[in-house]
Amino acid sequence: MKSISQMAPNAQRSFFVTLAIAAVAVVLYMFAVQPCGESLERAKQTLEQLKSKKQVIDRDLRESAKIKVRLEELDAAISPYQEAMLTPLLESWAMRAKSKLDLFAAEAGLLNVDYSELPVRALPVPKPLPKQLFARRPIKVSCRGSYAEIVSFLMRVEKELPYVSMQSFRLDAQQDPEMQRSDIVFEWLVKGESTVPDPKGGRK
Amino acid sequence: MKSSRLHLNLLRDSEKLSSSPVRLRVMLPVMSLLACAGCLVWWAMLATQLLLVKTQVSSLQDDIAGKEKDHANILAQMTEAREKQAQLDQLEMYSAARNLYGGMFARLAEVMPIRVQLTKIDIPDQPPQNLLPPGGKGKPAWGPTGTVERMSMRLMGRTTKETPVLSLMESLEAPEFTNVLVVVKDPRAPDVSPKVHSFRQDGTTAEEGSRLLLFDIEYRCRPRVFEKAPAQPAGNAADKAKGDKKK
Repeated sequence: MKSISQMAPNAQRSFFVTLAIAAVAVVLYMFAVQPCGESLERAKQTLEQLKSKKQVIDRDLRESAKIKVRLEELDAAISPYQEAMLTPLLESWAMRAKSKLDLFAAEAGLLNVDYSELPVRALPVPKPLPKQLFARRPIKVSCRGSYAEIVSFLMRVEKELPYVSMQSFRLDAQQDPEMQRSDIVFEWLVKGESTVPDPKGGRK
Repeated sequence: MKSSRLHLNLLRDSEKLSSSPVRLRVMLPVMSLLACAGCLVWWAMLATQLLLVKTQVSSLQDDIAGKEKDHANILAQMTEAREKQAQLDQLEMYSAARNLYGGMFARLAEVMPIRVQLTKIDIPDQPPQNLLPPGGKGKPAWGPTGTVERMSMRLMGRTTKETPVLSLMESLEAPEFTNVLVVVKDPRAPDVSPKVHSFRQDGTTAEEGSRLLLFDIEYRCRPRVFEKAPAQPAGNAADKAKGDKKK
């Protein structure tokens, strides 16, 4: 302070003016330039994010027609399976199978046709895992008839119900060759479990 | 300050800093003023840029907001398509594993030798599924890990001698059977098919007083393979369609 007091009055004034202007410059930098620069950086980042988001949106929107066509194709491909899917008739899967198979059994000439349900069997799962899985519901058909009638019934089912598979077959010869006993297990597609977790816990 | 002439020297010794001296008391305020002005210009440039960027951001936000509803619809459709594709994959796995037996059974009646009487035909059921993880603890799996189910067919019957059975087995090697039945005759093969389980005399006496022979033969069938069929190349599909049209 001694040296400042020893300065000439002009120099002293100059010194204080310089100090004041420098202080203004520092304040300008700290409270205007720097925050503005930071805001600009943030705004640029936001702009980049928005640009890439818009690119994605535009690309997705351009794909819209393709996706619609793809969805229609998928619906068309899934529809025959859904139509062939077995649904319970008054809570009985066997009764629904009976309603579909009785006609073929009668046409083939089978007698004493009985239908019973067997435990559902899971299908191998694809990757990625769908939310809705499908399974197989085996229905056991026990009947009597000649070998030719039983085979005719099996062939009709295989021809008319292209999504029904024979899972097992048993034919026991009886004394009367026109009255063989047969048990055929047919598999039907059914809706299976949902892989979406149940909010109440457990599987749907 | 000794001088021969009159000289008004306004600079002190301490102020002589360069050959063309400008007084520090003038320079310093000017320089700080320049620095201050530089800061102002810098700030003005930054502010202008910020304004421009903010305008762009706001216009992009408006644009995106306008497309958001359509985009949400597309995203929902994409998710739906992915779900349907996964469902279709599983359904196609099922349909790829469908084997037909009717034709084979119908043909079997035609090739059956007169002296052979079948007493039982059995394509056994699959064993029950166990989807629990090893040890039985934890959540059961969604489906079996294997994609192949082995199938087999047992033929049991009576005959008077071995030749009709051999003839039947020979007939079952025809292509109309081998698309269902697997014939592996090599004795070194791990899974020989057909496998003769028994060929013996019947304990009961037949009407003529002779003893009949009982046989029990097991054939391996084509396994059920739960795998999605590979997609047909577009060219092949087109050729096939052309071929169908010609037919």
